[in-house]
Order: sequence, then C-alpha cells, then structure tokens
Amino acid sequence: MADFIQLSINGLALGSVYALAAIGFVIVYSATGVVNFASGQFVMLGTFAGVAMLINGGLPWPVGYVGALAAMALFGALFFLVVYLPLRSSPVVTIIIGTVAVGIALQNAAQLTFGSWPFRLQSPFEGMTIEIAGAVITVHAVAVVVGTGILIGLLWLLLHRTTIGIGMRAVAQDVKAARLMGLRVNGLLAFSWVLAALLAGIAGLMLGPMWFADVNMGDPIALKAFAATIIGGFGSLPGAIAGGLFVGLTEVLGASYLSSAYKDLIAFGAMIAFLLVRPQGIFGERIQDRG
Amino acid sequence: MSIRTLLGLVAILVIGGALSLVLSDYSLRLMNLAVVSAVAVIGLNFAFGYSGLISLGHSAFAGLSAYCVAILTTKLGLSPWVAMPVAIIATALSAALIGYPLLRLKGHYLALATLGFNVSFTIVAINWLDLTGGTNGIAGIPHLSVAGYELSDERSFLWFALISLTLVAAAAAAIHRSRHGRAMIAVRDDEIAAAMAGIDVTGVKVAAFTLAGTCAAIAGCLFATHIRFVAPEDFNYAHSITYLAMLIVGGEGSIAGAIIGAVVLTFLPEWLRVLGDAYLLFFGLMMLVILVILPTGIVGLVRRISLKRRSPGDETTNVPARAGAHS
Repeated sequence: MADFIQLSINGLALGSVYALAAIGFVIVYSATGVVNFASGQFVMLGTFAGVAMLINGGLPWPVGYVGALAAMALFGALFFLVVYLPLRSSPVVTIIIGTVAVGIALQNAAQLTFGSWPFRLQSPFEGMTIEIAGAVITVHAVAVVVGTGILIGLLWLLLHRTTIGIGMRAVAQDVKAARLMGLRVNGLLAFSWVLAALLAGIAGLMLGPMWFADVNMGDPIALKAFAATIIGGFGSLPGAIAGGLFVGLTEVLGASYLSSAYKDLIAFGAMIAFLLVRPQGIFGERIQDRG
Repeated sequence: MSIRTLLGLVAILVIGGALSLVLSDYSLRLMNLAVVSAVAVIGLNFAFGYSGLISLGHSAFAGLSAYCVAILTTKLGLSPWVAMPVAIIATALSAALIGYPLLRLKGHYLALATLGFNVSFTIVAINWLDLTGGTNGIAGIPHLSVAGYELSDERSFLWFALISLTLVAAAAAAIHRSRHGRAMIAVRDDEIAAAMAGIDVTGVKVAAFTLAGTCAAIAGCLFATHIRFVAPEDFNYAHSITYLAMLIVGGEGSIAGAIIGAVVLTFLPEWLRVLGDAYLLFFGLMMLVILVILPTGIVGLVRRISLKRRSPGDETTNVPARAGAHS
C-alpha cells in the first residue's frame, strides 16, 4: 500500500507535467489550428532556461525561475513571428513538417549551447521528503501536483474572467466574427503562443529535478502530450488535464506493476484504442473554425 | 505508358547509372540510401499525395519488412530471394489490417494514430529481445546475389536498387493513370462527391494505404539487403516524418517529386557538413524556409515556371489543390 501511494503521487507529478505540456499544445491548437510538433522542444527549452539561470547563472531559485519564464515568454513571441505567421495558411501536413523542422533546429541549438551531457537541475525542495501512511514522498512531487492545480485554477480564471481570456476563446470559436467585433486577433494569437510557451516552461522547470535535463528529452514528452491530448479529447482543456494525469499514472504504475519495458505501450495503446472507439476523447472536441 | 513516363524511367536509369560510374564509394552509399528512400516515398505518395491520408507511420512498414527479411534469413537460413517476397506480402497484409480500422480517421487524428503505431512498433522492436535482438538489432543478413554474382559492393547494389526503383515508379505511374489512381485523387479532393460517383471510399483508402505499405516493404527489403543490419532506430517515427518531408519538398502527388525529394533530403545533410555540429540547426531552418517559399515543392516550382512561360498570368489556375488543407 505504501508503495502504491508513493507511486501514485509520483505518477500524478509526472502526469501534471504532461498535462501542462498538453494544455500548452491544446491552447495553441484551439486558437490557431496549429498541430505543434515542436511542443516537446518547448518543454525541453523550459528545463534548459532553468539550467541557464540556476546552474550557469548561479541565481537563487525565485529569481532564476522568473528569469527562465521571462525567457520562455520571449521565445513564445518569437515563435509566433518566425514560425507561425509564415506558416499560418499552410495545410496541416506542411505545419506538422514545419514545426518538426523547427523542433530539430531548437534541439540542435540547445545541444550547441549546453552540450549533450545531461544536467541535474535541483529542486527548491531538494532532499525534503514527507511521510504519508508509511510512504515516503518527495516534497517536490507534492509541490508539482499542488502547483499544477493552482495553475489550472489561474488558467480557468484567465480564460473565463478576463478580457484577454474571453477574447482568446472568441478567436478560438470564430476568427472572422472576433475580428468583426473589433478584437485584436493577431495580438490574441500571439498571446496564445506566449501562454503555451510559459506553460511549457513551467512544465520544464518542474520536470528538471525529476528527470535529468537532457537536450533529447523533448520528443518523448511531445509523444506523451499527444497521447494525453487524444485520450482526453482534442482541443479540450479538461481533457488535456485528465489525459496527462492518465498517461503519467499509467507510465509510473505500469512500469512497477506490469512491465518496465512496455510501460510506454500502455499510453500509446490507449491512445490508438481511443482513436478507434471514441476519437473525440473523454471530453470531446467542440466544432469550431480556426484562424 | 506515355512518352513522358517512359522518358522519366529512362532518365532514372541513365542518370543513376552515369552517377554510379563517377561517384566515390561514400557517395554511392548515400545514393543507395536515397534510392531506397525514393521507393518508400513513392509509396507514401499513394497514401498522402493521391489519397490525402497523412501517415506518420510509414517507416514502421519498412521496418516490419526489413525485420522479416532479417529474421527469415538469419534465424531460418532462408535465401533473401525467398525471404523478400514473404516480407512484402506479410507487410502488405499488415498495412491492410491496420489501415482498415485506422483510415476512418482524418487529418491530424490519422497523423497521430499512425504516429502512435510507429512508436509502438519501435517499442516492440526494442523489447522483444528473443525475436528482434532489442537495441542490438540483427546483423549478418546475407548479400543478395543475382545469377551467381554477389551484390556486395555499393556500385552493383546501386544498379539493382535503380532497377527496383524504375519498376516501382513504372507500376506507380501505371496505377496513377488507371481508374484506381483517379479514384484515389477523387477521394482526396472530395470524399462525398467520390462516394456519390459510386467510388467505394473506404476500399480506395485501404487500397492506397496497402500500396503505400507494399512500397515501404520493398524499401525495407532493399534496406535490409544493402545495410545487412537492422536496428529499431532505423525505423523510428523520425524516419516517417523524413519520408513525408521528402514528399513535400519534392512535390506531393508526383512520382518525380517523390524521387527528387528523397535524393535532395538524403544529400542535404552532406552538403551542410561544412557547418559541423550546427548542421541540424541549419537543416531545420532550411526546411522551414523551403516549406514557406515552395509550398508545392520543387516539382511545383518547375511546373509554375514552365506554365508562366507558356501563358503568362494564368499560372494560378493550374496549381494543384493541396490535399489535407483545412482538415
């Protein structure tokens, strides 16, 4: 039982990271219709922004985290200008290949900057543990789960209670109508990219202490985020959260109780099963026009 | 067969044959890889170029076939000439079986489903140690021999690969010109209209996907007998994305485009080698630039230039509609 609790919390923590990556992917998809295959590299860049600030820069963690997230916000805006705008009217496949190409470039850029040797990014709660019913749990894992919960709450407030968020949802529903209503559509689309980059950055900072910071970490995260998105329902934020937690839990529990070699097959098997039986996922996709 | 197709097929043999006499051994190896990729990409052209089915699992079919050849030749001691037809038939059947349920999906759903298939294939290839040898792969696949002559060097293998490519391209051109090819394009352009015209939409999609899998299987056989070693990372999803990139850079919906794209993207990393460690950075950015400035690929560019010469101001009407747009 103690093992199970410990594994479940670790699974939820990993799932939270996947959920944040999936939310970033979904926000961009809903607002712009772009299937962003570079989203895993966004998370990798988040981790390495942390490495740059905390390890290379030697900054204390509150300053370092803010610096890393500021860098990610800037990156999101840059991605909007350099990648999204030129590709915006291209067909799905061109966008898939285009974002993959940019992902390759980003990975190579990170490798040139940081080298291929993995880094160990320390948590602010490094070495701290708590005990629940005999299970020893790292404070970092608990902080990740709680932090993700708070972030999701804030995101809900942003999307439902602020002018920017309501504008973003309007753009997601109908770009032309949003433009006719006088919304600054391009600004809102740019903000979606910045928000996605920020969420990926937070996911990356959370993931750094759980895995090693490695320039090749982007692809596995992207694949898990895709699986999470499909399982939860393409384009749905609650779906991204549920799917992310599902993928994280099955990965950690499956590795311990079923097979560590085939742990990833559970998530992808579930993804394909959902596509065949219920392609709209748990929460379904709204029908909408995209920019 | 039209004169143009015939000229194209002769061009493959003449240009490839001429290059085989002048290139260094290392370039010949790359040529071989390019020709093997071209066979696979011609297959992908059936699924994506003609029928509009986005497949990110193409490399898994090449892998399935290559592993079949490797297992049948090394574990059962069969001749490659027996193993290869078995591998191609087995792969074509799996493509039909996998395609039938998956092809109800469209656009990015199909892309992610086939991606999931490819990732699952790699996981199984890595972990089914008894059969696949895990990450160590399977070595010691025998050379192909033709009429007692062993294709053990790059040059003689290239001749064999070029002949295979020509045959595949000829078959693809014949299918393209047939009723079946037109049915695929009709399904891509408008599924409902195609169904109204009496086309069995699901059947056409599964047939296109199976043809794609068959070409990938032929490429897998060529890969296995050329490199004579198979490992899971040779067939991971990144290669599927590369195949799709080759088709789009060359020009989708065109056999010539498939071949040109395969050659260009195989040699591009070599041409960028002067950049050293940073070549992938430039490769990625260059791909992005190509996609933005050449949305219909190299073949589309050539077509547009020749149309401009013929009738100035009329080039937009003849640019083919892109498959998968807004889906």
